[in-house]
Amino acid sequence: MADADLALLLTALACLALRIAGLAVAGALRPDHPFVAWAAAVAQATLAAFVVLAVAAPSGALAALPLAARIAALAAGLIGYAAFGRRLLPALLVGLAALVLLRAV
Amino acid sequence: MPAEAAPPPRRAASAGVAEAVGAPAVAMAATFLAFGAAVREAGLPIGWALAASWGVYGMPGQIVLVQHATAGAAGVLPAVLGAVAVNARFLPMAIALAPMLAAPRRPRAWSLLGAPFVAITPWAAAMRALPGIAPPGRLPWFLGFGLTSWLIAGAAAAAGHAVAGLLDPATRAALVFANPLYFALLLAADLGRPGVRGALLGGALAAPLALALPAAWGLLAAGLAGGTTAFLLGRGTRRRG
Repeated sequence: MADADLALLLTALACLALRIAGLAVAGALRPDHPFVAWAAAVAQATLAAFVVLAVAAPSGALAALPLAARIAALAAGLIGYAAFGRRLLPALLVGLAALVLLRAV
Repeated sequence: MPAEAAPPPRRAASAGVAEAVGAPAVAMAATFLAFGAAVREAGLPIGWALAASWGVYGMPGQIVLVQHATAGAAGVLPAVLGAVAVNARFLPMAIALAPMLAAPRRPRAWSLLGAPFVAITPWAAAMRALPGIAPPGRLPWFLGFGLTSWLIAGAAAAAGHAVAGLLDPATRAALVFANPLYFALLLAADLGRPGVRGALLGGALAAPLALALPAAWGLLAAGLAGGTTAFLLGRGTRRRG
């Protein structure tokens, strides 16, 4: 087995174990149990931190986009979200269109 | 009780499928298209792109794997540890989701069918939609949504691998940005929910912490710090109120 395949296999198994562990541990709890509420808060905070980092200080491919383009696309998406009756798809397309237009000028 | 309060499982599953083919599909396809292209660039076959998309199904971890792919045997352990660490949010996400997937008179083990689909996009959609669905329909809804976006992700990764040569780095970056942009819109929608707002602000404020720590652990640390603080403050507020 090639090294990249081995790394993939081990990662996939570990990720599946994390998912199954979470579902199995909390399946018997009520949705308003403090442990469940804490886990939800951590997951939501992680998502918020991910978005802030992706826009403000990205690594990898995203770093190729100028900061101004990232912020403008985000702003356009949020304006689109408000303008199109809080619908996600048009808002997403407005944000991506802003990104493409900014790259063209 | 209105008829739509308790949809039969099949109708709930169809509703999940329908929900998944809108904005979530666009965001997911764009990101996995870019991932497929990156896999091709790393010299790995299309089957690897599919296996990573369907087996790991968490983009930050997939990217860590690709970045380490050419490091040889010495790169296996750092790649696995790094990829699992950036995807460690699967654990709190699964914990938060688990109680909602349970239903009266159904063995709890059935909920484990949803395990492969515990990832940001299906999770965020489920946390918004499931409270409005009667308990027997929640697992079918999640399986419908999860399987649909999982298949779209794999198809997009395969397509990205096939057309990698057509995607210059700037286009690829724009495709990758669809993902955080979509999540930002989800967060904007969630800011109106009082129980969620604190955790989102906590995570956003804790984000700089991630820059001070090794890349693999930074996101997890920011989520733990921001989420735990918001959770504790929220409890304190409720107690006093």
